[in-house]
Amino acid sequence: MRIALPMSRRSVRLLCVILVSILLLVLAAASDLIPAYQTSAATLQPPAHAYWLGTNDIGQSVLTGLLRAAPVTVGLALATAALALIIAIVMAGLAVIYPNRGRALVLHLTDMAEIVPSILLLLLVAAWHQPGALEIILLTAVLTWHDDVRILRSVLLREISRENITTVRHMGASWPYLLLRHILQAVTPTLIGLYLQNVVQATMRVAGLAFLGLTDADLLTWGSMLQDAINYLHTPAWQWLLLPPTLCLTGFLLLLLTLDQRQTQRAQSVDEAVS
Amino acid sequence: MLGPTRISPQSGAAARPGANGLVLLRSLMQRVVVFVVLLVLMSLLPRLLPGDTLDVLMDSDVQRGLQDGEITDLRDRLGLGGSLVGQVGRDLARLAHGDLGYSLLHGAPVSYLLADALPWTALLIALATPIFLGLGVTLAVEAGRQPGTRADRLITTSMSLLASIPPFMTAVLLFLCFGILWPVLPIGGAEPLFPAATPLLRAQEILRHAFLPSLALALHEVVRYFFVLRGEAAVLSRRAFVLNGRSRGISGWRERRDYFGRNLLPVVCARLGQSVATLFTASLFVEVIFSYPGVGALTYHAVLDRDYPLLQGAIAVLALLVLGLTWLLDALTEILVRRG
Repeated sequence: MRIALPMSRRSVRLLCVILVSILLLVLAAASDLIPAYQTSAATLQPPAHAYWLGTNDIGQSVLTGLLRAAPVTVGLALATAALALIIAIVMAGLAVIYPNRGRALVLHLTDMAEIVPSILLLLLVAAWHQPGALEIILLTAVLTWHDDVRILRSVLLREISRENITTVRHMGASWPYLLLRHILQAVTPTLIGLYLQNVVQATMRVAGLAFLGLTDADLLTWGSMLQDAINYLHTPAWQWLLLPPTLCLTGFLLLLLTLDQRQTQRAQSVDEAVS
Repeated sequence: MLGPTRISPQSGAAARPGANGLVLLRSLMQRVVVFVVLLVLMSLLPRLLPGDTLDVLMDSDVQRGLQDGEITDLRDRLGLGGSLVGQVGRDLARLAHGDLGYSLLHGAPVSYLLADALPWTALLIALATPIFLGLGVTLAVEAGRQPGTRADRLITTSMSLLASIPPFMTAVLLFLCFGILWPVLPIGGAEPLFPAATPLLRAQEILRHAFLPSLALALHEVVRYFFVLRGEAAVLSRRAFVLNGRSRGISGWRERRDYFGRNLLPVVCARLGQSVATLFTASLFVEVIFSYPGVGALTYHAVLDRDYPLLQGAIAVLALLVLGLTWLLDALTEILVRRG
């Protein structure tokens, strides 16, 4: 029996639209529907019929760049957020299952992860060598998971001590059954909320790294397009080099924040309805 | 580092009063561990790359037929020999003596470079702090004292918009608007090329140069404070003492200051600790964008130039500062909590 959908219909529809459009963009890029991101002789051209959003300093079309960067930027953020959430779930789970040693160890680790000045670590690694996609995902996830652990742990503890769990336990239900049929459903809204916040966090971090020019030069993201644009602020070219990637990034973040806010409101109203 | 709206539980603020000392001691120990791990990493990572300073020096046009024994000898004399563990150990011992090393690129001891840059970063942070605290608290009280009204919706919507612009882009847009499109403020450096003669004029110039960078820093923090404080203010607005006060006709400035402002103070204090780290991070971006001669820009250029001695020194000093300051602020909060 379901009390409520974890998200509102509109939010689910929005998420589906995002995922499908990413998939389409990836397919389009793979099957050469989007033209290649090639250099050409037409450098720093303003938007015109041939190049709808103009070209950059080495004659690459900005529109092509935006389209090709979209799946990379969004994909990096989604993957990083997922990995961070998985680490946090494992940690919180350990703390709940082993209430003595496990809890102390997990909380210690969380405290330490919280106080690591993340930018210094990122600079160190970037100075060592410029991280590619996989390393960015790993590194950012390692710097993000600690935000979720405490919330997850308290939610898990609350759910486990509920009456329905105790009752079903006494009736002989196994833990996998409990996890699937009772705990998971109750925890899902929290998980979605944390995931959305993680995605926001990851998007900003990855964009920041790329903006500083500290990611792999071959990795085309909206952040790295901004890094290219920054040298042309003193020329009119900023209008087509700077604004499009900024609007893309901001639009994506705004979408996530709106989803997150709606999710929180919904969770609150469900809570009030239940109690 | 870059997420403005993250609402995480405040660490340390809700501890039992009896366990205060222990909590502080534990958090100090944790910071020491983190610091040492950072130092080891910072000494280890550059050495994992193939080649070292001697290889670079020997790779010049002058090719000398040196024997293997002579090369090892040279390596030892430059302090580059020995096992990996030995080298890292030597690095740590050197740092423990307060010797931060020498930057060949800048031709100066790292400690001099850092001592030159740190005051500028401190100035930016000192100017930004009153701006973000004042704006954050004022806007949050204004929006949260009557949740759901037009003022609340207007402020919250514009803050959401601001939150969805990555903070470094806010800085770039400020740079663009007030430095290039409408050039009213200086956008490079901390002082004009030829500083003014009198101290008063010079201070004025320095403030003018610091205005845009510190505003960019502050806007980054305002968003972080706003969402937490607005939530708190909205809760306060439903509390009995506020309703009581309002029914007795208390409103306006007095209501905002005495009923909301004072009760939001502990939340502000608890978050200040987190702000130290985020401000240092944000200052790196802001200094790079505004070519401000602070420690963030210095570190960033050390990364680009592969100036390892400078990078290591900067990271050691910055980590010490951030970890120490956050601990101090946590301790202060703890003491305030104990006083009630």
